Amino acid sequence: MRKILDSIYHASGVLAATCLVAICTIVIAQVAGRVIDRLATVLTGDQIGLVVPSAAEFSGFFLAGASFLALAYTMRHGGHIRVSLLVQTISGEPRRLIELWCLAFGAATVAFFAWHAILLVLDSYEFEEVSYGIIAVPLWIPQSAMALGLVVLAIALFDDLVRVATGREPSYEGKEEALLSGEDEALFAE
Amino acid sequence: MDQLVLGLTMVVVMFALLGSSVWVALSLFGVALVGIGVFTATEVGPALSSTVWGASNSWELAALPMFIWMGEILFRSRLSEDMFTGLAPWVSRLPGRLMHVNILGCGIFAAVSGSSAATAATIGKMAIPELKKRGYDERLMVGTLAGSGTLGLLIPPSIILIVYGVATDQSIARLFIAGVIPGAVLVSLFMGYVAVWALLNPDRVPSLDRIKMTFLERIAAARSLIPVVLLIIGVIGAIYTGFASPTEAAAVGVVLALFLSWITGSLSRESFTHALMGATRTSCMIAFILAGAAFLTVAMGFTGIPRNLATWIGEMNLSPYMLLAVLTVFFMVLGCFLDGISVVVLTTSVILPMIEAAGLDLIWFGIYIVIVVEMSQITPPVGFNLFVLQSLTGKDILYVARCALPFFLLLLSAVALVIVFPGLATWLPAQM
Repeated sequence: MRKILDSIYHASGVLAATCLVAICTIVIAQVAGRVIDRLATVLTGDQIGLVVPSAAEFSGFFLAGASFLALAYTMRHGGHIRVSLLVQTISGEPRRLIELWCLAFGAATVAFFAWHAILLVLDSYEFEEVSYGIIAVPLWIPQSAMALGLVVLAIALFDDLVRVATGREPSYEGKEEALLSGEDEALFAE
Repeated sequence: MDQLVLGLTMVVVMFALLGSSVWVALSLFGVALVGIGVFTATEVGPALSSTVWGASNSWELAALPMFIWMGEILFRSRLSEDMFTGLAPWVSRLPGRLMHVNILGCGIFAAVSGSSAATAATIGKMAIPELKKRGYDERLMVGTLAGSGTLGLLIPPSIILIVYGVATDQSIARLFIAGVIPGAVLVSLFMGYVAVWALLNPDRVPSLDRIKMTFLERIAAARSLIPVVLLIIGVIGAIYTGFASPTEAAAVGVVLALFLSWITGSLSRESFTHALMGATRTSCMIAFILAGAAFLTVAMGFTGIPRNLATWIGEMNLSPYMLLAVLTVFFMVLGCFLDGISVVVLTTSVILPMIEAAGLDLIWFGIYIVIVVEMSQITPPVGFNLFVLQSLTGKDILYVARCALPFFLLLLSAVALVIVFPGLATWLPAQM
């Protein structure tokens, strides 16, 4: 079970990273198309009209994919920031209660959010909503990435809630500080 | 009356959530849910999912992960190792000598990394041992690092300006260009302070430090810095001339950064993966906060608080200077406890109509708020740069804060300059 869950979190993180690579590829293709177009205009006087259709829209969809699919992965790595004044100053049982509260609140909020994201996908599917661009993408496809990412985050938060409730440390414990400063683990190890 | 109860409730809920360590993004969602669910007849769920979807699939926002990724790649290249040796020969004749490496190094590094704490940490790690060995003043050393680390928030490509641009629907290209002159002013203020300090305290500056090098040797020492500086200038230039949008410039920046780290031999499968996954995490964290902020803005709109606040401020007939003085204090207090991005998104959800009602230019306001946020990076109790230098030097936070105080005052005077001469921020974007 532990293994399955961890690989789900990791896989969604990798999928998110793939979305970033996709954004970069689309945008580079678009810029390259424009450069070639300008050169051609200068050389032959004619525009070839090399454009990536709906490039801006696709980048937006992949961005949403990257942002939401990475949620659980980022959470497990302590990447989401919080005001840590309180959790830094207390320890033991009070600390555990605060952590329980944060995770319970988080799991409930995200579960509610995930549920409505799923409803949004079903709505878009039912009413056959499509994007405005040259290529009409059915909106339920990119929206599913949002719903999926939120579902995985809800699972991850619930996972940690159970961990803390059964007296263990949360998965993100100790990883926060280093990431908070945008630095890798090395910085505070000195 | 109702309005007052509602406003106070939301403030209390906000502080209760943030204060009890709930993640910033989830706190924003929580407050917004309470605001809409308890105080209006609107259905919360559909409003939540459609608002967040609308705010998250944005072309402009795609610049954010790209710039973060570019920074992550350069961060892992030889850049930081070469920063000290590359810059030292160029500044050894200025009064204050190698202390200027801290400022210029932070300026360059900040421009690519976009994180002030990472900047202070990286440059500090490299420069502190070298400067200590040569007998430079420790307090000034810590102060310059803490202060200059904040430069990254303003020098383009700035992550926080993308966040502000997306949250307020302003052109990111214009914001970037608007930050150029104030960024240069800040660097000059910092370097000027170090020079004046060195002239007033000649006995505390080591004298035997002139590096004798020919021009070509200096170029050779700085060879790994030059491409990076060119990369930054290229990105700014492409945006300024309108050849590329920020998102396009950022994607090209990623490819060039990969190319740079490939020719300097620091590109490996491992460094590529680390940079990509690091960028994925950081941009996910910021995008989630922005999603929460977008929902909070909608929730605030439903409650009518920002509108009433704007009317109320309008009726008080405050002069813009008075208003900005009050806001500066407010942001600084907020910044004592919150990080910069949270300060920006929280305030844009609530006070934007007020700023518009006061007739302030929103591009200008973006630059102003970023400099104020820079100040908050070096104020206790929560100042990320202070934490970094605390762990690097092993001194207590109050000592670090005292060292950083002159730079805090310099930042404050930069805020005053930008308020008195708004053209510093508005002139350049008007030429685009």
